[in-house]
Amino acid sequence: MVTMDEVTPGKMTEGYLAKRVQVLKASAFLTSKLFFADPQWLIPNIIAPFIFTLVAFFLFQGQTSGPDFLLYLVLGSGLMGMWGTTIYASANSIGFDRWNGTMESTLAAPMPLSWIALGRVLFNTLQGVLTAVFILVIGLAWFRTGFAIVNPPAFLLASVATFLSLSFFGLLMTTVLLLSRKGGFITNSMEIPVYIATGTMFPVILLPIVYLPFSFLLAPTWGIDAIRLAALPGYVGLPTTYWEDIAIMVVETVAYMALAFFLFRRVEAYAKRIGTLEEY
Amino acid sequence: MKSTEAGTGRSLSAGSRLQMAYRVFKGAFFFGRKGLVIWDSWEMWVMQIFITPIAQMGFFAFLSVYLRYPLSETQFIVIGNALQAMSFSAVFAVANITSQDKWQGTLPSTMVTPANRVALFIGRAWFQVLLSALIAAAGLLYAATIFGVSFANADYLGIAAVVMLTAIAMTTFGLLISAVGLYMRTALIVANVFLFVTLLLSGVNFPVSVLPGWLQPVSWAIPLTYGTEAVREAIAGTSLLGLLPLLGWEALDALLVMVAGYAVFAGFESLARRTGRFEEY
Amino acid sequence: MQTLEVKPADGGPAKWAVSVTGLTREYVTRNFFGGASKKTWALSGVDFQVAPGELFGLIGPNGAGKTTTIKILTTLLTPTGGEAKVFGLDVKKDLYEIRRRIGIVFGGERGLYNRVSAVDNLRYFSDLYGVDPSVARKRIPELLEVVGLADRAGEKVEKYSRGMKQRLHIAKALVHDPELIFLDEPTIGLDPAGARDIRNMVTELKRQGKTILLTTHYMFEAEELCQRIAVISKGKIVALDTPSELKNLVRDVSVIELRTYGATNEYVEALKTLPEVGRVTADLDSEVQDIRIQTPLGADLLSKVVAALPPGAKMIDRTIKEPTLEDAYLRLVEE
Repeated sequence: MVTMDEVTPGKMTEGYLAKRVQVLKASAFLTSKLFFADPQWLIPNIIAPFIFTLVAFFLFQGQTSGPDFLLYLVLGSGLMGMWGTTIYASANSIGFDRWNGTMESTLAAPMPLSWIALGRVLFNTLQGVLTAVFILVIGLAWFRTGFAIVNPPAFLLASVATFLSLSFFGLLMTTVLLLSRKGGFITNSMEIPVYIATGTMFPVILLPIVYLPFSFLLAPTWGIDAIRLAALPGYVGLPTTYWEDIAIMVVETVAYMALAFFLFRRVEAYAKRIGTLEEY
Repeated sequence: MKSTEAGTGRSLSAGSRLQMAYRVFKGAFFFGRKGLVIWDSWEMWVMQIFITPIAQMGFFAFLSVYLRYPLSETQFIVIGNALQAMSFSAVFAVANITSQDKWQGTLPSTMVTPANRVALFIGRAWFQVLLSALIAAAGLLYAATIFGVSFANADYLGIAAVVMLTAIAMTTFGLLISAVGLYMRTALIVANVFLFVTLLLSGVNFPVSVLPGWLQPVSWAIPLTYGTEAVREAIAGTSLLGLLPLLGWEALDALLVMVAGYAVFAGFESLARRTGRFEEY
Repeated sequence: MQTLEVKPADGGPAKWAVSVTGLTREYVTRNFFGGASKKTWALSGVDFQVAPGELFGLIGPNGAGKTTTIKILTTLLTPTGGEAKVFGLDVKKDLYEIRRRIGIVFGGERGLYNRVSAVDNLRYFSDLYGVDPSVARKRIPELLEVVGLADRAGEKVEKYSRGMKQRLHIAKALVHDPELIFLDEPTIGLDPAGARDIRNMVTELKRQGKTILLTTHYMFEAEELCQRIAVISKGKIVALDTPSELKNLVRDVSVIELRTYGATNEYVEALKTLPEVGRVTADLDSEVQDIRIQTPLGADLLSKVVAALPPGAKMIDRTIKEPTLEDAYLRLVEE
């Protein structure tokens, strides 16, 4: 039996970055544990994009054929899955602590809330990638099509960049949810509009002109275009080149990041002023 | 089990049983409105009446434009999605009633009341029926105003009948799902899946005949499938009388769904009483 | 009011672990349109100091300001006015430094991740507090052993009893080896054995030299554990002293405890009209009735109490007692 006196004395991690990386890892790890303890929420994230894809497939079937269209379709549904999961899961990343009753314990930690939230969002986006891969595999099997990619390294780069941009977009969404109890509905109602706005299933050029600024402000719009440019032969999308897409996405993602960290500070200051975040 | 007046042990007449059922229904009706937390916020109304229907109609309409479908096909899709928009309130929100009971731990206290079960649950669902009809009507309004569907020949009486009947029929479907949901940890997953399945199976975006043969009977088990066909006919000018056969099938389907829902619910209640557990499922 | 004299071991100048001066906190309830509609003072000028190594109690009725005080000291809430310092650091400015040096035990069910194990919870919080992972790997199992959860450490917390969860709360507050520990109603809702376990741990932490600030609803608990107690009522400290000194406040009264058979409400009302009788509390719901009478007269009142008994009623037992902390507390918060 160990007594209190025999417990190893505490020692803190040194270094600005080391501490933050530690928090990031811990938060992502806990989120994964919580996810695997109750993975049922994966279902709606997969079902909605997958059924949208099936509907699209029946519509495509009447009008066109060929492996390029199928790949276009399957890529689009994968991206919808990634989007859906990211938006949904970010909504629940810190929101989860609110209804789990761990908000105070989380806020009491000597570490900015943004880093804790970022850890969660990173895992959630990773889960989005898994959703996307899952939908891709099912889609490829269902439609019995191959997966020949024009430029694999470019495809990989665009995918990773889109992943990161989604993560920071998710972080931004988390602040919205922390500031408003009804943020969940905001993110819910965003789901289909962002599928449209980012060109997951059809080019954004088709949209009414008033919609386009919103489209162009969403970094994944450029990411999706870059991914398709790298994957599909003869793809005609936005008037930008692959590298222009990547550059615009990076700039917008950095802006998301800055805005998210700024808003997190505000959230924390607000929480301290009112004494809690549990009620909001 | 025989209904008895509380405290007296005396059997009730059919008349007073009906009266009591009415009181339960009335109480539950207002609960149905107040008790559903998700309707407490104006954002939810905005989302369900404006954003989601328009976004969903737009998504599939743009897709059909991208695929160079003729205008008539795009309008087919727009009308189908307008009616389908009611699924959230009719199916998802109704299934949510039982889920909320389970989360808040009020299920046992609901179950121990001698209240007539049918009256209780239908009373709660009525608000959703009205709301569903409203959402579908709003969807059709968007179809006319935003998406340019012509209502020049429309038979409005026919449209009203289809919308109302479909709202009732889909809500009974929601009740069936909430009854099934009693056996599971949550009904919401089933409801969520169902929300999207209708997009594929109920003639919302393309005719049922496009689907593989083995799937088509499933389509015709869902009341919405009759509804989408009937509403397109009504907009094209078919009179209420001409719609009667379709509406008759839809009503029959709704009735079967209701009976099935009641059977599932009664089965669960007796199972829960035997095992003494209400909340673990 | 008396303040405790701090005698630092090295004879140097006294340094407070916690020092609160003129602390105020105002809550503004906003109406639907976001306009300020109502202002309430949760704290209106609170002063107290806690010495290093002291076990300090904060007691008071619900809504008196206990939790607000704790929230301010744990940097979760900014004060409206006044000054609150922890280890000489300002709660408004030196958040992270303070947070690293304090541990918080929230009472009740909240504050843990129920779907994962105790080890997962502790590992997560130790990372959040920046404990060196190599140290944490040793500390976590040791702490779980100290709080008696070692054999169930891998189980999901949702399977734990209330008492086990509360012990895990204590381990969680200790992962980063804090110098000062806040315990906010740590025994609330626990069964007697579970509450005793927690009190033993608190005593053990005190013995180890940790500074502890405890809030509680249970007077015997405060009396048993605390060296000094502050009684807070309506946002103000109404008394601050050692338990025995606090009891001296009601030294002038003694308590007659009666156990009767057949006593009625009229009898209790009649007792209240007797000369020099203070508070009378009675439990009339059961077969036999327990009645407590505060009076400076002590035994001299007994004959009158017996004489007033209604016909047919019987006196089963009677004792004259020294007043308890609870008597002092009730007088303080009701004044």
